[in-house]
Amino acid sequence: MLIASEATLFGAFIGTYFYFRFRAPQWPPDGIPEPRVVVPLILLAVLLAGSIPMHLASQAASAGRVGAARLFVLAALALQAGYFAWAVHDFSAQLQMFDITRDAYSSIYYVLLGAALAHVALGILFDLWLLGKLVRGLTTYRLHATQAIAFYWHAVNVIALVVTLTLLTAAIG
Amino acid sequence: MRRLELLQWSGLLVGALVWAAAHVIGFGTTEARCNAASPTFGIDFRLWEGLITGFAGLVALGAALAASAVLVSTRDVSYEDEPPIGRIRFFAIAALIANVLFVMMIVLYAVGSIGNTPCVQA
Amino acid sequence: MAIATPPTPAAARRMDRLEVMWQSRPGVLGWLTTTDHKRIGLLYFWTTLVLFGAGGIEAMVMRTQLIQPNNDLVSPGTYDELFTLHGLTMIFFFIIPMTTGAFGNYLIPLMIGARDMAFPRMNALSYWIFLGSAIFLYTSLALGMAPNAGWFDYVPLASKQYTPGHNIDFYALAIIFNSIASTLTAAQFIVTILKSRAPGMSFNRMPLFCFAFLAASFGLLFALPPLSADAIFLFLDRNVGTHFFDPSHGGAALLWQHLFWIFGHPEVYILIVPAFGIATSIIPAFTQRRLVAFPLVAIAELLVVFIGFGVWAHHMFATGMSTTALVFFAGATSMVVIPSTIQVFAWCMSFVLGVARFKTPLLFIAGFIFMFVAGGLTGIMFIAIPFDQQVTDTYFIIAHFHYIIFGAAVFPIFGGMYYWFPKVTGKLYFERPGQISFWLLFVGTNLLFFPMHIVGLLGMTRRIYTYPSNLGWTSYNVIETIGGYITLVGILVLFGNLVWSYLRGLPAGPDPWHGPTLEWTTSSPPPEYDFAVIPKVTSAYPNWDVEDREEDRRKLAGGVLVLDEGHEQVEVTPVDGWLSRVVEMPHDSPWPVLLALCLSLVFVMLLLQHFAIAGLMGILCLLTLLGWHSKEPEAA
Repeated sequence: MLIASEATLFGAFIGTYFYFRFRAPQWPPDGIPEPRVVVPLILLAVLLAGSIPMHLASQAASAGRVGAARLFVLAALALQAGYFAWAVHDFSAQLQMFDITRDAYSSIYYVLLGAALAHVALGILFDLWLLGKLVRGLTTYRLHATQAIAFYWHAVNVIALVVTLTLLTAAIG
Repeated sequence: MRRLELLQWSGLLVGALVWAAAHVIGFGTTEARCNAASPTFGIDFRLWEGLITGFAGLVALGAALAASAVLVSTRDVSYEDEPPIGRIRFFAIAALIANVLFVMMIVLYAVGSIGNTPCVQA
Repeated sequence: MAIATPPTPAAARRMDRLEVMWQSRPGVLGWLTTTDHKRIGLLYFWTTLVLFGAGGIEAMVMRTQLIQPNNDLVSPGTYDELFTLHGLTMIFFFIIPMTTGAFGNYLIPLMIGARDMAFPRMNALSYWIFLGSAIFLYTSLALGMAPNAGWFDYVPLASKQYTPGHNIDFYALAIIFNSIASTLTAAQFIVTILKSRAPGMSFNRMPLFCFAFLAASFGLLFALPPLSADAIFLFLDRNVGTHFFDPSHGGAALLWQHLFWIFGHPEVYILIVPAFGIATSIIPAFTQRRLVAFPLVAIAELLVVFIGFGVWAHHMFATGMSTTALVFFAGATSMVVIPSTIQVFAWCMSFVLGVARFKTPLLFIAGFIFMFVAGGLTGIMFIAIPFDQQVTDTYFIIAHFHYIIFGAAVFPIFGGMYYWFPKVTGKLYFERPGQISFWLLFVGTNLLFFPMHIVGLLGMTRRIYTYPSNLGWTSYNVIETIGGYITLVGILVLFGNLVWSYLRGLPAGPDPWHGPTLEWTTSSPPPEYDFAVIPKVTSAYPNWDVEDREEDRRKLAGGVLVLDEGHEQVEVTPVDGWLSRVVEMPHDSPWPVLLALCLSLVFVMLLLQHFAIAGLMGILCLLTLLGWHSKEPEAA
């Protein structure tokens, strides 16, 4: 339910992006470079790949194989943390090029990207907490936690996909 | 029973989703057509709105027919009967009413968006 | 099962064990750490009543200021704060928390045959966050910087350039703060209604009260995020220097209105749909008849919220949008009326076909139907864009929405207070003062709001602190103010009656009305554990199913589904209500109030623009969450 709420928040951000876009004769506005396409897509692929080990972790936990579940969560964490580190570096580099206070484009750009990254950061914290719990064995509670966190990651990944594609539309035309 | 379940859920949910999509995409199309960035998009407004509302209208009509089919199949059942059959009839009644409204709204969208001159201030 | 026949010794032993399992800590600490849905409901009830009082005082000061032309009881700046706070308080801090937090929390588990909500600690958290947000907002008044740009706070007036003080920052942050509480409540209700029903309570056998709260909860879940997005954008524009609403840098002032009304319109349905749920509970009880057209009313409650998401720009017909854009909203608005109409017909037919006993609760529902229809008729008039453009921002609109809000939300709330008073307190209220309070309120509110239609058509605009004497508006304003004072007297009689009834009322017993739903099968007030045995359900009117209640007595004696081995409750499949498992529920806990405290500090720091410290407080919140989840439930 809470994920649905967050998804709607992103929906509002995305609507705002297009609201500005439809009103701007030039997009991105003068002085702001078009977004790169290749790097964001590679980054996205790395993040999305994390859904696979999370799904496998969920399955392993359902089957009672806690060791396998731990390894899969660790693998997902590696992919997600890698994505996060690179993305944050990218984010700060872009801030040097054009600041959030420059205009409406930059305002919505950084809010969209920042919000997506914040949700990834939260997910990484969830992963760490889960690993801490799974180290001490499997219970019904921890099984449900694994399933819930896997679902959270799938949702975050869908949101990240939509956000990335939205921001990349500025590179078209 | 499985076919009945599928028809019931389609009737209940598909019409609602397609109306919501037609509403957002239809309104979004006007925004794209009638603002500063519009020349770059080159939208044939009446064609787009016709396609959106036409498609949505047909799908919503289909959902209404699905609901009707369930109602006909369950005519000997009461909506107060025990689940799943009672619940299936209950949702089918609900779905029929809902889809009538969705079809009506889509028709109004078609008439209003195609019949009016685009981009004239109200 | 009704406690008419005394339980067998075995049954009594089980009830004693349940009593021990479910009892709360004593004293103030018990209230601070409670997770019991009934206690949380009561906390919401009293808190919202205080805030209702505040909103009411704001209204009475405005009405007194407007009693004569060129009055100077309050300054224009103060008047701006009054109408802004009045709107914010009544909507966010009275109606929503009273219907969802108080009525919803207390009654939903009782109606569905559950022992508590699905997430009791999160339930407590919602209350403490709500309290925090109310204190946060009213601190602004104490500091002389209350929000002052109207409850919908349009930019550019609300931008830093035109309102530089902290007033609007209080607004933006209070809105986000409050929305967290409501979002958690909404998620809670949805999961509880879907998963915690008594076995056998499939969707077609669920009380209409639950359909109403399900609809309102889905509404809140999807409507609040656009508002939060709007408030985030406003806060960033004002404090960080972004340009969401700044046309000179590619932003759009109208964006505020779109996002606001995407929230705002569903919000008004969220205000009235729980009240519809209250009405559909009261009518069967006082007509002793199942509600006419049950499936139609059920879907109507869901449809009115769902379609309500598509009508938002009918609040923007005067903003210069194109006709081809606005037709989507005019079309949807014309159809959104129909589910409400279906419900009105069903209610009226139920009156006609049943044996109506016009006790106070039913009187309030009759009054509600009258006022809702009146307000609905003016609402339909706004579908015509030219007419709307004439009356937008006049008192005609104020008349419309007060008929709807006071008539369709507040009247059922008052009716519900009387209806469930015996259940919550174990006492009967006094009928004669109850009826008097209804008539005072009915006459008062009609005198107060009806003339607003006329004076609005005569050109009196909203949000003006005074008016000249030569426009013919004076006599209408005088009548309205008198109506306001009569309404005030009605409210005082109502609450005076409830207090006096609490002190001196006769014992009510478990089921004074022969009500249809499960809460009337327990004692008054209900025990901590709500139900000694998880009830058997085969219809939407379980208290009228005598055989099922007999079956429950046998189950209690035999120890079936009594669940007295721990702090336990059942979980069922969402659609058809088949039993799936037994779950262990959390006990009283300090974590909710602690987390709410940390969250409050985050918002205070954001207001003071100490962003780094706000971040630290955020980390403190995460640590509190860690503590919250440190202890796992015992395996069932």
